[in-house]
Amino acid sequence: MEKLLEILEAIQPDADYETCTTLVTDNYLDSLAILSLVAELEEEFDIEIPTVEIVPANFNSAQSIWSMIQRLEEE
Amino acid sequence: MSYQAPVFLLLFFPLTLLCYQLTPQRHRWKTLLGASYLFFWSISGKLLLFLVLSTFSIHHFGLWLDSIRRDADAAIRAAEKPERKALKEARKHKMRGVLAAGILLQLGTLLCLKYANFFGANVNLIFRGLGMAEVIPTFQWMLPIGISFYTMQAVSYLTDVYRGTITADRSLGRLALYMGFFPQLMEGPICRYSQTAEALFAGSPIRYDALTRGAQRMLYGLFKKMVIADRLNVFVNTIFTHYQEQKGPVILLGMLAYTCQLYMDFSGIMDMVMGMGEIFGVRMPENFRRPFFSKSISEFWTRWHITLGAWFRDYIYYPLSLSGPLKKTTSACRKRLGNHFGPLVAGTIALFCVWFCNGLWHGAAWSYLFFGMYHFFFIVLANLTEPFTRKVLDALHIQRDKGWYRIFRILRTAGIVCVGELFFRANGLKAGLSMFHKMVTDFSLPSLEELALGIDRYDVLILVVAVGIVLMVSILQEQNIPLRKKLSAAPTPLRWSVYYAAIMAVIIFGAYGVGYVPVEPMYAGF
Repeated sequence: MEKLLEILEAIQPDADYETCTTLVTDNYLDSLAILSLVAELEEEFDIEIPTVEIVPANFNSAQSIWSMIQRLEEE
Repeated sequence: MSYQAPVFLLLFFPLTLLCYQLTPQRHRWKTLLGASYLFFWSISGKLLLFLVLSTFSIHHFGLWLDSIRRDADAAIRAAEKPERKALKEARKHKMRGVLAAGILLQLGTLLCLKYANFFGANVNLIFRGLGMAEVIPTFQWMLPIGISFYTMQAVSYLTDVYRGTITADRSLGRLALYMGFFPQLMEGPICRYSQTAEALFAGSPIRYDALTRGAQRMLYGLFKKMVIADRLNVFVNTIFTHYQEQKGPVILLGMLAYTCQLYMDFSGIMDMVMGMGEIFGVRMPENFRRPFFSKSISEFWTRWHITLGAWFRDYIYYPLSLSGPLKKTTSACRKRLGNHFGPLVAGTIALFCVWFCNGLWHGAAWSYLFFGMYHFFFIVLANLTEPFTRKVLDALHIQRDKGWYRIFRILRTAGIVCVGELFFRANGLKAGLSMFHKMVTDFSLPSLEELALGIDRYDVLILVVAVGIVLMVSILQEQNIPLRKKLSAAPTPLRWSVYYAAIMAVIIFGAYGVGYVPVEPMYAGF
């Protein structure tokens, strides 16, 4: 989780990742930030994030991103 | 037969409601399907065959995709761990092939019917330019109504089955209804299978509250369409047809009037469509969310024709920008160019494809391609200048989402959109450029007679009041005030006074009869 927070901070420093649950809805993570994030997560965690996972529910909070990573790591 | 036609509103729709309600619940979907095919037949006749073939095709390909997945999954489960990766790859490869064939069949039909002549004419032009004979013949094909809409639904269905977000439907009837449900057939919204199929098939009984709420929304849509959009029709047509004779300010007025007309027409029809769906217990995705309150062009496209933008985002933008080569580009660029400019390369390439397709989707003409590229340009420009804008605003202590700067952003976005719509409506790109040139170079003021292009003071007064009402409703909705809920909860005399006022407004102030030509449902042709 710490590594994920580091990546998020580097991509978008303006959001409070401890509490925010509307990262996509409130446009903290726009489509370009998502592209950046996906590329970085795949490299860092050695996972493949399929397009079908690119939905607001998976990216709206650090916790939901973390859950997605763990799920994809298991697959 | 269009949605605002008396034959639809007074005969077809009430009869369908009656038959639907009288049919036993488990057979109601058949009534809806019958009504939908009858509606399609009344507009496009035997071209209904295209819709039927399209439905058969996605039914078959969907089941094929599912069977590949099922067989492969069984093999993967039985295999040892080291072999699983190869089996998964083989599954992916096979499914991709089937998906590509299914999509090709759908898009191939659309391309042949809608775009063959456009591409043919341009290839012939090149050949003529080279002094050679024309090589591609021109075809006189009729377009089935709503083909661009149902083709997109078909592609989304197949892709979602491929992605595993839905399982293929075994019921051909349910799929046929998903593809051809009559309220959304002509102008959308572009629904996903997961959004409407179940509700359509459920055959829920029509309830009083759903009926009144649906009728309420239909009435509001009818008001926008008949009182505003249709009333502006003669004025807009005259300016765009005889633009050479008009002065710059008149063209400016024509541009604003057309933008207003397009919004009232399309969003009005959508209100009617949503209302009809609501009556049948089918909640379709919204297509408009007060787009003229947008602060940027990107935001505008999340508020205007929302389901089209979402379709392009989910089926073109992300799949392309997250494809292998572009993903690698993003990673490499991020290291060199940083977090903002890094993903811009891949994002811009994908965005270009989106806007190229978006332009072409609206029609096979250069003016539509220009329209797409125009919006692409402004979105890319905003992306490129974002860090600079942010720095300047920070230095000047200006909050971008508050006060005068917010209003400035809203007006700037509306201005860009209006100019885009000028090119969209003009009779060809050449005419659009000529109109734009005149608008920004000719400032000679027209006389009152020159402005009376098919409308009089009475029309202007009705338009001002009607647009004012829509604007007021939009402002309240923008402030999250649940107007419809409040109206439904209002005392009966007040509630019915509002309903009667709206009905009377449509009957008295609606533009129909002698001297008026209703706007052809603009998006139905796309």
